Amino acid sequence: MRRTQRLVMTAAGLGLTTLVAACAAGHGPSVGSGNSQTTGQKMQGGTVTIAENGYSPNFLFPAPPATNSNGYNIVLSEGLWPTLVYAGDGASTGVNPKESLYSSMTWSDDDKVITIVLKPWKWSDGVPITSRDFAFAYNLLKANYNDWAYYVTGLFPADVTKVLTPNAHTVIVDLTRSYNPEFYTDDVLTYFSLMPQHAWDKTSMTGKIGNYDETPSGAKKVWNFLQQQGGQESTFATNPLWKVVDGPFKLAEFESSGYYAYVPNKNYSGPTKPALSKVIWTPFTDDEALMDTLRSGTSVSVAILPLSDVRQIPALEAEGYSVAQVPTAGVAEILPNFWNPAIAPLVRPLYLRQAMQYLINRKQIVQKAFNGYADPGNGPVPVLYGKQWDSSLEKAGGPYPYDPAKAIALLKAHGWKVVPNGTDTCVRPGTGPTDCGAGIAAGRPLQYQLLFATGSTSFDEQNAAIVSSEGQAGIKFTLKGEPFNTLVATTGTCNAQSHPASTCYDWQLQQYGYNSYLADPNGAGMFNTDGITNYGGYSSPEMDKLIDATEYGSSSSAFFAYEDYAAEQLPLLWLPDASQVFVYKKNLAGVTPTNPFDATYNPEVWYYTKSAS
Amino acid sequence: MTWYLVRRIGQSIAVVIGVMILTFILVHFEPGSTARAVLGQKASPARIALFDNTYGLNRSLPVQFWLYCDNVLHGNFGISYVYGQPVSTLIAQRLPRDAVLLGLSTLLALLIGVPMGLYQAIHHGTLRDDVVAGTWFTLYSAPDFMEALLLIAIFCVHFQWLQAAFPGGITSVGGLFADPSAMVLPVVVLSINSVAGFSQYMRSSAIEELAQDYIRTARAKGLRERLILTRHLLRNALLPIVTILGLSLPNIVAGAVIAEAIFNFPGMGLLFWSSALQHDFPVLLGATLIIGVATVVGNLLADITYGVLDPRIRHAIA
Repeated sequence: MRRTQRLVMTAAGLGLTTLVAACAAGHGPSVGSGNSQTTGQKMQGGTVTIAENGYSPNFLFPAPPATNSNGYNIVLSEGLWPTLVYAGDGASTGVNPKESLYSSMTWSDDDKVITIVLKPWKWSDGVPITSRDFAFAYNLLKANYNDWAYYVTGLFPADVTKVLTPNAHTVIVDLTRSYNPEFYTDDVLTYFSLMPQHAWDKTSMTGKIGNYDETPSGAKKVWNFLQQQGGQESTFATNPLWKVVDGPFKLAEFESSGYYAYVPNKNYSGPTKPALSKVIWTPFTDDEALMDTLRSGTSVSVAILPLSDVRQIPALEAEGYSVAQVPTAGVAEILPNFWNPAIAPLVRPLYLRQAMQYLINRKQIVQKAFNGYADPGNGPVPVLYGKQWDSSLEKAGGPYPYDPAKAIALLKAHGWKVVPNGTDTCVRPGTGPTDCGAGIAAGRPLQYQLLFATGSTSFDEQNAAIVSSEGQAGIKFTLKGEPFNTLVATTGTCNAQSHPASTCYDWQLQQYGYNSYLADPNGAGMFNTDGITNYGGYSSPEMDKLIDATEYGSSSSAFFAYEDYAAEQLPLLWLPDASQVFVYKKNLAGVTPTNPFDATYNPEVWYYTKSAS
Repeated sequence: MTWYLVRRIGQSIAVVIGVMILTFILVHFEPGSTARAVLGQKASPARIALFDNTYGLNRSLPVQFWLYCDNVLHGNFGISYVYGQPVSTLIAQRLPRDAVLLGLSTLLALLIGVPMGLYQAIHHGTLRDDVVAGTWFTLYSAPDFMEALLLIAIFCVHFQWLQAAFPGGITSVGGLFADPSAMVLPVVVLSINSVAGFSQYMRSSAIEELAQDYIRTARAKGLRERLILTRHLLRNALLPIVTILGLSLPNIVAGAVIAEAIFNFPGMGLLFWSSALQHDFPVLLGATLIIGVATVVGNLLADITYGVLDPRIRHAIA
């Protein structure tokens, strides 16, 4: 199964505040990189218990409503209704054609029409999966996309003029404009699941199956009915609607506590039939409870290890666990607020952002704050996660390696009196190339407030290190911590449209975790003007053009052009991006390499080995 | 007595209404947008507007409060923004489990603390008194999370005799006992602090009672010491304990965050904590109301029990 994280955008919301916690200085014990292999003869059967931390799913339907942002719902539903395009192929971030529902996807010459041929797979009740199921899912979304949690303004299905189904296995999707096929396949169609029209096209539990979806009003009624059913946790495991699946598993048990269990879908048509007889997700209230359980040698088979506990790895290995590092598909950053008038003059000049970036000792932070389990943060694309996306600039360490001397030189060259471990002041106001810059008066101190999400010792250590290293060039950072949700609630997106918004005046720089990527890490939404996750309001016509080229153009070099430009222009200050450390029973095979979009969960390919049984 | 009860119940209702108003105002002073806290930074203005409309957050505060009160009076505490479930369901799932866990730990603490306090009172001023007091004060002063981790290290990790945590998926009280070994440490850890409290209150009270004339009279009449202690002293010395028990009722309802976190026990404490962090107002309001009710009921029960145990008080209020 793949687990993309469109909903789970901010690290602390789902992962980092719970997964990244206390750690002390020094190197952690070495772990695998997701490629270790368990040897032994494959066994059929067995139960795997996966530890969940903190949150639990609360909705069961492949298209949750816009008011539900619980990212764990994807984890629950993806094994039942995989998406048309399966993201992640082994450890690669590419599309997995074997596991995807389509056998071919052809784009017209103008990149406006997609012809999709579906594989001759079947639903769990034996009914073939056809183009009618595609049309059914499309019709529901088309009529209700404003209430669809995964809808991104302007994209699917709003950008579809019509869907044709010339035969049972062929779908033709006519788009309103040309797209880069790679972008559209990776970032859009990885969110679209087919739905069983023969079982779900009705407006009440006792109603008859019809073709209600073919009119907008009918589609709204069907949508409302399915949404209502999808919210009833007490019937998740028993509702006949949810018994019709096309994924490798069926839901056998569900408790409102977050405990749930999969059993194999015996009619699964995909290439990898589950070998396990049961997969259980069991909730843990806290990292400590999870660690105690792992150490006491109980039945938890798979878990994500809190980074604060990496020193427990030898003890866990003695308890029969293997360990693998799983890079996070995202980018961590310090976010500058370009629209707070109090600080905008000090974040808009590129040279100031460059100076700050030169002063962030990312290598040291990786080792000291994250015990070695983090991407170095060389630029907008993490080098540990998507090797095919890395430009030579990023591979070489990015444009701004730690270099206090260069930072000091930049500041002096722009009219600042540098006071190491003090506070710099502007001595040459003005807008010339050697002046401080627009809006910066003589004597203005070079100081910022860094708002950060509390709750993670790793973040605390990282930010303390940044305060210290920025101080070497006289850039004064003061820290202000807030609980993650308070931070999110009080800091809205700041850009030309929102300005003046009250939520833009309360923060200057912000550090809250990471932004997750879709399959194609092209920065759309993050760095383009008015992008939905461009919280700080960075705006550059050149960046917009380069991102557009990755979405709508067809040049294969467009991505690297964008990537290098973003790395150099610093719409954000790049920070190390914490990885996940994954522990699993030594006799459980198939766990690695882990899918970068799954948060490591692909139980359909897991199996126990005989040697260890 | 009846009039006293009516008056006390009336006061209790007024307190609960006050708690409702105060809590409602306070939670709405929490900074920032609820919709943004729940949906995340990526939420578009349209999604935020939809959320606010769905949950009535775009209405004025007095209207929201009026609707909240109306719903509560009809047994509806609202829907959790985060869990997407009725608040009453979330509380109903957790409250009985907390009541059992904290009830058992309180019972254990009473069973140890009361005799311990009596023992200390009888041996007041001796080395035995000092040893017992010293032992319990040492345990009392140690943080409960440290005691929990220590006991887990010994009994779960080293000897592997007990379960370190409750298995996931417990949804009923019966589920707590599916593996009784998982109950042992949480009950023990939660009772340790209470034992010290109960024993010291009991000790002080018993020392005071032992100096009373009725004890001297009983002894002078030749009554056996055991009968004096159990029949005369115990009943009178228990009065302070009744007060503590009454006041501990809200604790039983509110859960124990640290113990819940360490022992994987999804109870009211963690629900309340996570709801506060996530701006989940309906849950916060529902849980606060329940705790407020438990507080006034606990006090009421303590007052009534006082009257039952001590005829002087009963006659005074009559």
